[in-house]
Amino acid sequence: MTDAAAAPQSNTATAAPEMLSWDSKSRRVVMLYVPLACFLLILLFPFYWMTVTAFKPNAELYDYATHNPFWITSPTLDHIRHLLFNTSYPHWLWTTMLVSIAATFLSLLSSTLAAYAIQRLRFRGSQYVGLAIYLAYLVPPSILFIPLATMVVRLGLFDTPFALILTYPTFLVPFCTWLLIGYFKSIPYELEECALIDGASRLQILRQITLPLAIPGLISAGIFSFTLSWNEFIYALAFIQSSENKTVPVAILTELVTGDVYQWGALMAGSLLGSLPVAIFYSFFVDYYVSSLTGAVKE
Amino acid sequence: MANLITRRETIAAAGAVAAAATGGAAQAQIATQPATAPNLPIERGATLRMLRPVRFVQPDEDVWRANCQRFAQANGIEVRVDFVGWEDITQQTAVTANTGAGPDIIVGFDAGPHLFAEKIHDLTDVATYLGQKYGGWRPLANAYGRRGDRWISLPFGASGGPAIWRTSTLREAGFESVPDDHAGFLRLCQALKRINKPAGFALGNAVGDGNAFANWLVWSFGGSLTDEQGAVSINSPQTVAALNYLRELYQTFVPGTLAWGDISNNRAYAAGECHLTQNGVSLYFSMLNDPALRHIAEDTQMTPMPKGTLNAVPNAGLTLNAMVFRHSRFPNAAKALLTFLMETEQYDPWLQANIGYWSQPLNAYAASATWTKDPKISVFRDTMNNPFWNGYKGPIVEGSVAATADYVMVQMCAAVASGQATPQAAAAEAERRAQRYFRRR
Amino acid sequence: MSATTAPVWTKTRQQPGALARLFDNKAFLIIVCLAPAVGLLMTFLTYPLGLGIWLAFTDTTIGRPGIWVGIENFEFLMEDPIFLNSVFYSVFYTAVATFGKFGLGLWLALLLNQHLPMKSLLRAIILLPWIVPTVLSAIAFWWIYDPQFSIISYLSMKMGLTEGPIDFINTAWPARWSLIFANIWRGIPFVAISLLAGLQTISPSLYEAALLDGATPWQRFRHITFPMLMPILAIVMTFSIIFTFTDFQLVYAITRGGPVNSTHLMATLAFQRGIPGGQLGEGAAIAVAMIPFLVFATLFSYFGLARRKWQQGESND
Repeated sequence: MTDAAAAPQSNTATAAPEMLSWDSKSRRVVMLYVPLACFLLILLFPFYWMTVTAFKPNAELYDYATHNPFWITSPTLDHIRHLLFNTSYPHWLWTTMLVSIAATFLSLLSSTLAAYAIQRLRFRGSQYVGLAIYLAYLVPPSILFIPLATMVVRLGLFDTPFALILTYPTFLVPFCTWLLIGYFKSIPYELEECALIDGASRLQILRQITLPLAIPGLISAGIFSFTLSWNEFIYALAFIQSSENKTVPVAILTELVTGDVYQWGALMAGSLLGSLPVAIFYSFFVDYYVSSLTGAVKE
Repeated sequence: MANLITRRETIAAAGAVAAAATGGAAQAQIATQPATAPNLPIERGATLRMLRPVRFVQPDEDVWRANCQRFAQANGIEVRVDFVGWEDITQQTAVTANTGAGPDIIVGFDAGPHLFAEKIHDLTDVATYLGQKYGGWRPLANAYGRRGDRWISLPFGASGGPAIWRTSTLREAGFESVPDDHAGFLRLCQALKRINKPAGFALGNAVGDGNAFANWLVWSFGGSLTDEQGAVSINSPQTVAALNYLRELYQTFVPGTLAWGDISNNRAYAAGECHLTQNGVSLYFSMLNDPALRHIAEDTQMTPMPKGTLNAVPNAGLTLNAMVFRHSRFPNAAKALLTFLMETEQYDPWLQANIGYWSQPLNAYAASATWTKDPKISVFRDTMNNPFWNGYKGPIVEGSVAATADYVMVQMCAAVASGQATPQAAAAEAERRAQRYFRRR
Repeated sequence: MSATTAPVWTKTRQQPGALARLFDNKAFLIIVCLAPAVGLLMTFLTYPLGLGIWLAFTDTTIGRPGIWVGIENFEFLMEDPIFLNSVFYSVFYTAVATFGKFGLGLWLALLLNQHLPMKSLLRAIILLPWIVPTVLSAIAFWWIYDPQFSIISYLSMKMGLTEGPIDFINTAWPARWSLIFANIWRGIPFVAISLLAGLQTISPSLYEAALLDGATPWQRFRHITFPMLMPILAIVMTFSIIFTFTDFQLVYAITRGGPVNSTHLMATLAFQRGIPGGQLGEGAAIAVAMIPFLVFATLFSYFGLARRKWQQGESND
């Protein structure tokens, strides 16, 4: 396996862009399928390992001598059961869902309007406003969370989902706005101009022409926001205190690592279940997600 | 959490009953003196939230919850207890103090409450009452609970850090017990290394074990972070001697100790990789309860670490220290709950359920049946009688807490052990860091 | 915002035409449209950013408001080996991880750009590491790097490569590389899929023309693929560098900066000093010290890589 991976490495730069050539079958296997299989193996192995661990009884978990670690001899639901009934996992899931959806909605609303203003209403300095919003994305949350925590408290939002719903847009809005500017850019001006001449108001144009055309962009931005919200860690670590209000990523790290032993089974079950919702959600919108990664690039 | 309450409650109640059954006779032994409880009218409709470090032994959590539940039922109020990881409690306290929102009570570690002295309620009244009733507070409790002559927090117990070792292994290496001097201790560790059953002590950022080992090392050579006046004194010949000693000692450790957290030595010891370490009772307890590991538990002995150049074994037990925040809307209820938990009916079953994991801050509880059930754990009985504390020898100030939280001592040791720095350089760097923490106040 | 719109609503009740006119007023519409985004960002980003910068010049601790101490925090940090090590590791981590992600990501993108069965399914699967919350995959890596029960150690012992368990996170350099590997693992999909999208916009006719001219595969890559990828490469790299440099979760979950502070990134050190250590001022100073690096990295990738394309304006699609 290692040999096979090493061999194509030296040739890849020359071979890979060969879109139009008709290579022999074996060459194609070595150049394409073997490296691809290696990539897949490495990228997916942690998930496999997560899954296997989540369903393995403790006896097998720590005994590699008598049990093949790659397989489960007697799968168990104990870890999952522990997670669902002995911890607040359902509650964490609910909170995370709520926060992610609300933050996404808020971000989409404000960034659509902002992107529309910047890209379609074109005013003096509009590109600077766009740049400023884009630059906001450069501000790492690790700088902000201490001062933000005091603000969150002054606003009476500490330890409530609102603390997260209102602060997540700080990193969502810049990205979404930037993404949507790209989408609006790709919608021909002529459409709007015709409508303007026909006497439609700008709001009507936004609602009836621009937005429907930008729907793929909205979905992309929405999915991206949802995923980022689901993944967010520092703010949730700092602004949420009570265990049942925590979001899944924070809760799994802080609530499941208990004193006496690392409960790897439960930790992996938690990681698996915490990843599933976002993975399922994502699988429905894969193409939008992909296009959100690349802005207005169309396929 | 709501869906869990019933189940937890039943478990907890069962635990409490079991504990009470075994400790029923023993409770009479706790001698009390007459004392008047402070008048704390509990606010109507009070709801309390308490944050606590996570348990290392399961009954700790069960009995603690059951006790809190009893208080809640007796007073018709609501009490909720959240447990968080050891590394997280400091930052959660910091955020709570800084933001003025969150739990009413936080049970922190060690001198932690001193960092937030301005944000927490005075507890002099309840501390005085409890002290009077239960034969006085022990030295470590006085050190951590008091600021000047007033009490800012209630210490609940401390986890000691004796040496914990395999009898058979020591015998194999030619030792009957752990020697009491540095040279003998080093010889023991070298002998263990030779028979491939090495010792190991946490040098990572471990709240309990890391501090316990670094403190023991420096203190047992006569070094200290600060002098009696509170001036930084870490860069001393004694410290350098300790670090030079560590350089040799470290050669005998099992690999990986630089990254050890509080749990790592438990695991290494239980796995048979490490045969001498320093830990609280949790390790012994968990092996005792695991049929597969019971033979190790039976082979295990716990004795104080070497005295070194001192007359007493230097160890500052990791102390649970409860504080009531000023932002609490129900300060009376909070103080009453803490007092309630310290009374015999609640405290003794908890003490016994922990089988010595947390050792009492009040003298009267030294008579608890906890300390006579298993002779092996009697080494933990006087954990809080030790005249050492984090930041020793100076008075406890914010700097002592901050320097501990930043692992100044631990990282000084780790830097030498890993070969990153010479003993002199490491001591100088620790001095530089410590001075910053102690200078500003 | 509500204050400005309220009178508008009452007025328009009586004469609907005025509302339409008002909303057709470009200046008004611009303000209304920008208000939510700008308002949110000003309140929850700009203001705390200023507050954070101010904190960096004070000796604020938790529980005690600080006083202005000028650049004292920075003076202390300049002599602090732990801070300097965190700067070193942040740069090293970012540089190596970015290099790895882009090298492997480009390779994967080129592979995926070929004719393959079930291509969209493949693409969806490959993105998984990027979708799953970082902390959760970090926990999985933590388990994979376990000193005792590491599955990689098991494999290597089985195959006879090593005698004992591999040391992944217990000593400085192995820990640093292990974290970088986990970061690369998580970053490859993002880079690969982004670059793949870029590759797909390159017109096949360009390659056909090159083939007719007798260009070698390397020449085609060098003179067609690479330049055409430049704009998207610049954007993706900007983001990647920012994400990597400010990374917190991965290190916090796996090593918390240990062993002996060797894997502290600036973000985790800022957190450690600021929150558990209580030194808000110093923590803020470390955080603020990240800003120049971020600005530099962004300007470099934005202008250095994308200049040509950006100057041509919007003709890139």
